[in-house]
Amino acid sequence: MSEIANEAIVVENLRKVYSSNGVEAVKNVSFSVHYGEIFGFLGPNGAGKSTTIKTIIGLLRPTDGKIYLDGVDVLKHPNRVRMVKGYSSQESSLDDRLTAYENIFLQGKFFHLSNEKIEKRSKEVLEMFGLWERRKDLIESYSGGMMKRLDIAEALIHRPKILFLDEPTLGLDIQTRHSIWNYIKKLREEHGMTIFLTTHYLEEADELCDRVGIIDNGKILALDKPGVLKSQIGGDLITMTFGNEKEKVNAFLEKLKTVKDVKSVNALDNNVYSLVAEKNGDQLIPKVFSVAEKEGISIESIRLKRPTLDDVYLTYTGKTIREAEGSREEAAQQRVTMRRIRR
Amino acid sequence: MKYLLEDTYYVALRELKKYFRQKTRLLMTLIQPFIWLTLMGNMMTGLTNNPIAANFLGTGNYLTFMTPGIILMTIMFTSIFSGMSIVWDRRIGYLDKLLAAPINRAAIPFGKMLSAAIQGVIQAGIIVVIAVILGVRFQTGILGILVIFIIAMMVAFILGGISLALAAKIKTIETLMAIVNMLTMPLMFASNALFPTNVMPSWLKAIVKINPITYAINPMRSLTVTGWSSSIIANILIIFAIDILVMLWTNWVFVNAVSE
Repeated sequence: MSEIANEAIVVENLRKVYSSNGVEAVKNVSFSVHYGEIFGFLGPNGAGKSTTIKTIIGLLRPTDGKIYLDGVDVLKHPNRVRMVKGYSSQESSLDDRLTAYENIFLQGKFFHLSNEKIEKRSKEVLEMFGLWERRKDLIESYSGGMMKRLDIAEALIHRPKILFLDEPTLGLDIQTRHSIWNYIKKLREEHGMTIFLTTHYLEEADELCDRVGIIDNGKILALDKPGVLKSQIGGDLITMTFGNEKEKVNAFLEKLKTVKDVKSVNALDNNVYSLVAEKNGDQLIPKVFSVAEKEGISIESIRLKRPTLDDVYLTYTGKTIREAEGSREEAAQQRVTMRRIRR
Repeated sequence: MKYLLEDTYYVALRELKKYFRQKTRLLMTLIQPFIWLTLMGNMMTGLTNNPIAANFLGTGNYLTFMTPGIILMTIMFTSIFSGMSIVWDRRIGYLDKLLAAPINRAAIPFGKMLSAAIQGVIQAGIIVVIAVILGVRFQTGILGILVIFIIAMMVAFILGGISLALAAKIKTIETLMAIVNMLTMPLMFASNALFPTNVMPSWLKAIVKINPITYAINPMRSLTVTGWSSSIIANILIIFAIDILVMLWTNWVFVNAVSE
């Protein structure tokens, strides 16, 4: 019980089987999200990310399991959490024949806010997302990035404690994505908001999330800080080449093995040598240099490679992020999203 | 329950804002009945020159006979497409956004039906103005025209509801279009909207009797051609009962369709 009261989101043994086609999209998933945390679900299309989000916010009924938001059992008291959660779907759900202000005004009204509150808060959020100047423009004239910003701004109109973002940067170009990331970080830094997002972009999970759950086929395969996940699959790798004869190099390598934090040293092909660091490969490089100087070794090249979330993903799912086959409806929806964004 | 009316209003407001913003569409709703009235009216004047036909129609002016039919036809062809907005809202994710908000879910179909009803009145108003310009005189005057507007609203509400209930189940616009088109034609032509029941074969008469559109046409035609009568109230009550049934049914279908 104490855990439930102290966590923003607690999900216990969540299962979701779609009654229409019998597909088990979420299989016995449990996790919790701390207050003020950016928590991410990383996985390919059709992994069960959106289903999980939609079940937590009450758009879908779980087949089994318990969900607590802000300490409240959402299945027993759905009305008590209505104002706690904000949701931005992956589709940029804006009415493009209305202006930005009309969209946000209606959203406020659907949350039963008074006109004064809507006026005050919409100015606040629109300014925060850099859209105040364009509030009177029809959404038709908005770019994909602006639409996404407005979509997130709208989700904040009722001041939710917990924000759910389903694929916040789907289909956006890299600069726009970075700008959306900055807005998301700002929300957490300035307002201490708890954010739960899903993504199938590895860089996004790495850049934004305090903790990441890797999800595939409706199951969580791994869940931890991105850094920990990366170090679990092996330390940093340093590759080197030298300008000395073999015997001298070998003696040097023996010396290197005794340096702290060096896990192993191996000879690769073409006189390339590799060193696997226990941790902090970047701090190991100066040490390598100082040993080399003492031994009279000249280093011709040295390179540090850190494992990426990509490698982690590969390790856990046995595949790179792939385009999984979603339902036809989902695919059609995604096409519409892409068309709207790329316009 | 507390927010049902308020939520319904804002759902309708959204649809109406968009409706008034589409200038071309507004223009078309003006031009279409004009074409119908002038073209069909002129074509059929030959018919009303024949005293027997005039007797069947109850008026020597076919245009007067036809005006209620044109009003109904125009609002039918608009309101029956209101389901399209649900399909589109589902596609762009707006429906999910609505469902995630703390609104009364019944307000979603009801708001869209209300918007269809208001659009129906606007169209009815335009047609009445055109008809008056073309020489149609309404027997029951301004008060009668107001009652015609109320009936128009009620019919638009029914058809909007049917369309929304279908759209809640059908997820592609193309399929919805096909079904809706299949519905409107028989509803229109198996009614006394354009031709008097007296001249129809008996099997068609039977269909006309169970067609709800007939119960909207009858009072409208009395108000236009013959004048006040007690049957007007009876017919309006039947339409009202259908309104209530459609409301309940649409809400039931919608709520079921969106809860997975």
